[in-house]
Amino acid sequence: MIPPLNTSSGPPFPQRRSLLQSAAAGFGWLAFQALAARPAGADEVAALKTDATDKSPLTPRPPHFPARAKRVIFLFMQGAPSHLETFDWKPQLKERHGKTAGNAANRGKLLAPQFDFQPRGNSGLPISSLFPQLSRHADNLCLLNGLHTSNAAHPQATIALHTGSINFVRPSLGAWVTYGLGSTNQNLPGFVTLNPSGPGGAQNYGSSFLPASYQGTRVQPEAGGIADIRTPHQTPGAQRTQIDLVQQLNRNLLGKHPGNAELEGVIQSYELAFRMQTSVPEVLDLRSESAATLTRYGIDNKETAAFGRQCLMARRLAEAGVRFIQITRGGWDQHRDLREALQRNCTAIDQPIAGLLQDLSDRDLLRDTLVIWGGEFGRSPQEQASGGDGRRHNNLGFSMWMAGGGVRGGFRYGATDELGEKAVENRMSTHDLHATILHLLGLDHTRLTYRYAGRDFRLTDVYGEVATGILS
Amino acid sequence: MKTRRLLCVLLLCIAAIPCPALRAQESAAEKTFFFESKIRPLLVEHCYECHSQQSNSIKGGLSLDTRQAVAAGGDSGKVLIPGKPEESLLLQSVRYDNPDLQMPPKGRLADSQIADLERWIRMGAPDPREGTAVPRTNAWDRQRGRSHWAFQHIHAPPVPATRNPDWPRSDIDRLLLARLESSGITPAPDTSRELLLRRVTLDLIGLPPTPAEQSEFLKDTASDDEALARVVDRLLAAPAFGERWGRHWLDVVRYADSVGKTRNIPFPYAWRYRNYVIDAFNTDKPFDDFIEEQIAGDLLPSRSARDRAEQLVATGFLALGSMDLNERDTEQFKLDQIDDQLDAIGRGMLGLTLSCARCHDHKFDPISQADYYALAGILASTQTLTGQLNRQGGNQTYFHPERLLDLKAAAKQPAPNPSDSAPSAARLAQLRQQLNTLVRESKSADLPAPRQKVVRSQIATLRRELAAATPKVPTGAPAPTAPKKSQTKQQRIEEVPFDPKAELAMAAAEGVPRDIELRLRGEPDLKGDVVPRSIPVALRTAGNPRMPENGSGRLELAQWLTSSRNPLTARVMVNRVWSHLFGRGLVDSVDNFGLSGSIPEHPELLDHLAAAFIKDDWSVKQLIRRIVLSRVYRLRTEHSAEDLRRDEGNVHFGRANLRRLEAEIVRDSLLAISGQLDRGRPTGAPFDPAFTGDLTRAGRGSAEVQKAFARPIRSIYLPVFRSEIPQMFSVFDFAEPDQVNGLRDVTTVPPQALFMLNNPFVIDASDRIAGQLLEGSPGDQAALVRQVWRRVYCRTPTPIESTTAIAFLKSNPGEPHKQLAALVQSTFASAEFRYRP
Repeated sequence: MIPPLNTSSGPPFPQRRSLLQSAAAGFGWLAFQALAARPAGADEVAALKTDATDKSPLTPRPPHFPARAKRVIFLFMQGAPSHLETFDWKPQLKERHGKTAGNAANRGKLLAPQFDFQPRGNSGLPISSLFPQLSRHADNLCLLNGLHTSNAAHPQATIALHTGSINFVRPSLGAWVTYGLGSTNQNLPGFVTLNPSGPGGAQNYGSSFLPASYQGTRVQPEAGGIADIRTPHQTPGAQRTQIDLVQQLNRNLLGKHPGNAELEGVIQSYELAFRMQTSVPEVLDLRSESAATLTRYGIDNKETAAFGRQCLMARRLAEAGVRFIQITRGGWDQHRDLREALQRNCTAIDQPIAGLLQDLSDRDLLRDTLVIWGGEFGRSPQEQASGGDGRRHNNLGFSMWMAGGGVRGGFRYGATDELGEKAVENRMSTHDLHATILHLLGLDHTRLTYRYAGRDFRLTDVYGEVATGILS
Repeated sequence: MKTRRLLCVLLLCIAAIPCPALRAQESAAEKTFFFESKIRPLLVEHCYECHSQQSNSIKGGLSLDTRQAVAAGGDSGKVLIPGKPEESLLLQSVRYDNPDLQMPPKGRLADSQIADLERWIRMGAPDPREGTAVPRTNAWDRQRGRSHWAFQHIHAPPVPATRNPDWPRSDIDRLLLARLESSGITPAPDTSRELLLRRVTLDLIGLPPTPAEQSEFLKDTASDDEALARVVDRLLAAPAFGERWGRHWLDVVRYADSVGKTRNIPFPYAWRYRNYVIDAFNTDKPFDDFIEEQIAGDLLPSRSARDRAEQLVATGFLALGSMDLNERDTEQFKLDQIDDQLDAIGRGMLGLTLSCARCHDHKFDPISQADYYALAGILASTQTLTGQLNRQGGNQTYFHPERLLDLKAAAKQPAPNPSDSAPSAARLAQLRQQLNTLVRESKSADLPAPRQKVVRSQIATLRRELAAATPKVPTGAPAPTAPKKSQTKQQRIEEVPFDPKAELAMAAAEGVPRDIELRLRGEPDLKGDVVPRSIPVALRTAGNPRMPENGSGRLELAQWLTSSRNPLTARVMVNRVWSHLFGRGLVDSVDNFGLSGSIPEHPELLDHLAAAFIKDDWSVKQLIRRIVLSRVYRLRTEHSAEDLRRDEGNVHFGRANLRRLEAEIVRDSLLAISGQLDRGRPTGAPFDPAFTGDLTRAGRGSAEVQKAFARPIRSIYLPVFRSEIPQMFSVFDFAEPDQVNGLRDVTTVPPQALFMLNNPFVIDASDRIAGQLLEGSPGDQAALVRQVWRRVYCRTPTPIESTTAIAFLKSNPGEPHKQLAALVQSTFASAEFRYRP
C-alpha cells in the first residue's frame, strides 16, 4: 500500500540506541508472526503473511539524500506570538512609536517593541529580554525573520501551517514526515502530539488520505498521558491471545474489503497499542530523571513546570526514536494584555526550551534533532486600536526559529521591512518552510508524493522552495 | 498568488492621484509609432498571458489590452499615472522594486524594455487601442460567483431511463444507475438481510437491532422491499430516532452545555434546546419551520402557550456559541457573538462560510464585507439571552439568570407585533447621533461650566430614552448585587444563587433595531460606513426582504432562509442526510457549498432530493424513508480489489461504504447489548445546575462528566462541556462543539485499541454479557458463540469463525465465565463492531 520512496541514495539508517528499541520491538513482533501458525482459513493465512512481511508502515525508510536531521520537535505556539517583542528586532519601530503608518485598513498608530533587545552569544543575535535563558543558546538558533502566510485568521493559518492547505483536508506535516521516513521505534507511534489544542483539531495531526498509521497520537501529559494504557484485568500473555483473536477477526473483514485503509489502520493500531502498553508508560515516566534534569527543564518551578514536563517528554520521545514530536501551547493571541501576557507566556517556556536545547546538546542529539519554534502568523507593528497594549494579526511578516538538525546557528535568515510589517528579504511562505523542513530531513519535497484518487499529492502542492541559506 | 493579491489590495491607495495633462514634446504620430513599435509587442509578449480579455483567467483584475482597461487598472487600483512613471505601479512592478509585486513573474524584463515603459508613461501613456474596460476581478469574480452551481435555483431534472429496468426501486436508483452504467460499473449485490437490518437500525436510531428484532426480520416472508419498509416505519416512529438524528443536528449547531474558552461557565438550561431538537425530529416538524423557529421562534405566531414555549426555546440556537467571557471589551464581545451566530447560520444552514467576510471581502465566494455587516446588523438588533455576561465594568460574576428568558411568563405573551409602538430604527439612529455629538462636546476641555451642566443632563435623558427602547422580555431574577464580605472572588463566581423552580431558557429576543458600521479588518473600533441590514447581494435571487424599521429583521431572515426560492437551505440539508446514510455527501464538503467547497458529483440527484424534500413539506422522515428504501442503500460493502481500482473513493455509490460508528453509538451499543441501557429521557440539566462557576477549575467539569457517564442513559443526554470532552468520546472523534461540524473526523489510532482492550466500561459490559449468556441458556459452546455473534455483530457466525471462537473458549477451560467475557470483549474490540456494515 505504501508506494516505495526513491531509495537510490542515502546512507543506511543508523540505529541510535538500537538496543532498547529492538529489544522492545522483539516481543510484539514475534507474537504477531506467531499468529500465522494459528488455524485459520486459507485466505486469512494469506492475509496474515502479507501483513507480517511488508506492511508495517512504521518501518524506517531511507531518505532521498543524506539527512541533516533525523527527527523533529515542533514547539507550536498557537495564537500568533508577536515577532516584534521576541525575535525580530525593529529599532525603527521604536523610533517611530506613536506615529501613524500603514495602508488602508492596516493604518494605525505604531507601537514600539515592548521589551528590550540585546545582542546575544558570539553571533550577537538580537533576542528580546523575554528569553534570558534561551538567549544563552543564541549561537544555536537560526532566526527565520522573513516568514509570511496567506491568511490572517487563526483557523485557516493554523491548518495551513500544519497541512499546507487552507481549503482542503490534507495530511499534516508530521504525517508526511512519518510516511517519508517511518520510525525507528516500532513500539511507539511515529508521530506524537502533546496537548494538541486550538483551531484545526485533529486536522493538525491527521493523515487524511495517507495510511492511518501516520496520524499523530495525542498525549495529554496533564491527564496521565494516554488513557487505558494499562490492562487492569489480564496478564500480557492472556491479552496477547485475545488480540490474536481480534486480529484474526479484523483480517477476515479486511479480506472482504481489500485495500481498505481504515481497516488496515485498525489492525496496525492493535499491534502498536499492545506494544505501547509497555513502552509509553516507560517513556513518559519522568521519575527516572535526576533532580538536576528536572531543574534544568524548570519542572521544580510552578510557572514553568507544565511546559517543562512536556519538553522533557519530548526529549525522551526523541531519544526513544519517535520521528515527529509536537508540543502545542496556546494563549498567544495578544490583542490586548500584550506586555503582561507575553511576559507570562515567555517565562513559562523560556527555561524549559533552554533546558531542552542544553539536554539535547549534552546527549549529542541536537545535531540531528530539528527543533522548530513558532506560531501561525505574527502581529502588526500598529497597536490594537482599542488599547495600546495589544497588536493585531499580521500574516505578511513574522518569525519562527529553528535549532539543531543541520541549520546554521547564530544566524538570521530573512527580514521584514523596517517596521516589521512585511517580509521583504529571503521571504519564506508556509510551503517554503515545509520544503525546507523536509529537505533537512533528507526528503525532496517534490518527490515525497502519495497517489490518491488518480493523482500524486505533495505536502507543498506545486509550491515550495528550500531555503538553502539556512543550511549549516 | 493569494498573498500577492492581498498585498495588491493593500497597495491600492498609491494610485489615487489625478491625471495630469498630456505633455506635448512628441507629436501624436510619434507617440503612436513609439507605442506600436515598442510597447504593444512588449505587452503582447510579456503581459497578455494573464492580463488580456482573451486570457483564460485575468489575474489581479487587470487587463492591458485596451486603453480604457489600462486606465481602469486592476484590483490594486490604477496601474499607471500618465506622465508620472515613478508613481506608476506598473513601473514599480516591472522594476522588481517591491518583493510582493514583481511582474512579469517569470523573470525581469530587460533594462531597455523597462526604460521603454518608463518613457511611454512619461509621454502620457499614449495608446491607440480602443475598446472597453473589462470588469475588474472582484466584480468579475463575483459575477462568476453568482453563476456558481449552488446559487442556481433547484432544478429537478428528468429521470433518465436505465438499461437495466429491474434493478431500480426509485428515481434515486435510476439517477445513480444511469451514471453507473455509463461508467461501466455494475452495482454490487444487495447485502444480507442480517447486515441490512444492522445498517438501517444503526443509521436510524443509533442502536443495534435486538435479537428479537433480528429474528422477526429474518423470518418475514414478504419481499425485501416490503419487509424493509416495515422495519423502516417502525424505526422512524421510535423515540430513539430523534435521539439519533437530533444528535446530527446538535453537531451542526455547535451544541454544548458550557460556554468554553477562558471562563468555562455552564449553560444550565441548554438541555431545553437539546430536547426541542430531539422532539422536532421525532414529530417530524417540517424542516422549514424548524429553521424558522431557531432563528425567529419568538416572532412567529403560535397556536398555544405550549407551542409558543417550544418556539422560544428554539431560539436558544443563537445563544449556544462558545464565547470568551474574559473579554472586557463589550463591543468586541458582541461582534464575536454575532460572528459565531453568522457562522452557525452560514455554514450550518446555508453551507456558506459567511464569517470569512468579517475582516475583508470573501476570498472565494460572492460575499462582500458589506454583505457580512448587513447580516450582522440583524443580530446586533437582537438580544441574545445566554444567561452569562462577559467581564465588563465591575462585573465579577458570569452567570446571570436575569439574562435568561422566563419561559412561563414569556409563553403567555403573544409574539410581538411589529406595528407596536417601538421607535423606528431611523428615530433611534437619530437619537444615537445626538448622543454622540453631545458626548464629544462634553469631552472638550474648554466647555463652559453652565453648558457642561446642560450637556450632561441631555446625555442622561438621551441614554434613558435609548435604554427604554430596548424591548422588555421577562427574565430570571437577578442575583444579589452585593456579595457577602466573607466570600472570596472565586466563591462569588461559583455561588450565584440558583433557583431550581425557575423555568428559564436560553433564547433570543428583539433588541433595538439598528444598522451597524462595517468594521475595517474586523476591528471593533475601526468603523467604516453604516451598512443597512439586508440579505447578501449575490443571494437576492432567493428574494430580498425589506428589513423592518421596528424589528430586528430576524423574521425576514428566517423566512428568506426557508423560501422555496432559496436554493441552499434544502440542498444543504438533503446533502447532510445523504452523508449520514452513505458515509459521504453528494457534496463532500457538507458545510461549504461555496466556491472553495467541493463540486457535487451527482448534481441531478442532489436537486432531485431537494425538490422532493420541499414538495413533501420539508419532511425529514419522508426524505430519510425515500433514501433508505432505495436499492442503492441496500448494497453490500464487500468488494474486490478490482472494484476498488474502478472507483477508489466509491464516487458512484456502486457499493456501500463501511463506516466507523460515532462515539455515542459505541457507548450506547455497549450499554444496549449488555442490557444496561436506560432508554428514558432524564429530566433537567445533565449535571448539578447549582454550580455556576468555571468548570475547568479544580476538575469540577470532569467530575460532573464522570458522574453523568456512570448513568446508563443515552449519550445524547450526557453533558457536553466545551474543552471537557471525556476521553471515551474524544478518542472516537466526537464533534468539537466550538463550531459547526457537519462531518466528524475519523481517526484510527492506537488509543482506540487501548480503550477497547483496557477500559473498565468495556470490560464490565463484556463481563455482564458473559454472565447473562451463561445464566440464561447454558447450551454448548457453539450456541454461546452464536449468541455472542448475534448480539454484537447481529449475524450468525461463519463455520470458520465458530471454530476459531470455540477454540478460544477452550484455551482457558478452567475459567469459563472469564473466557466467555474475553470472547465478547474481543468481538467488541474487532473492527466489525466498530464499523457500520
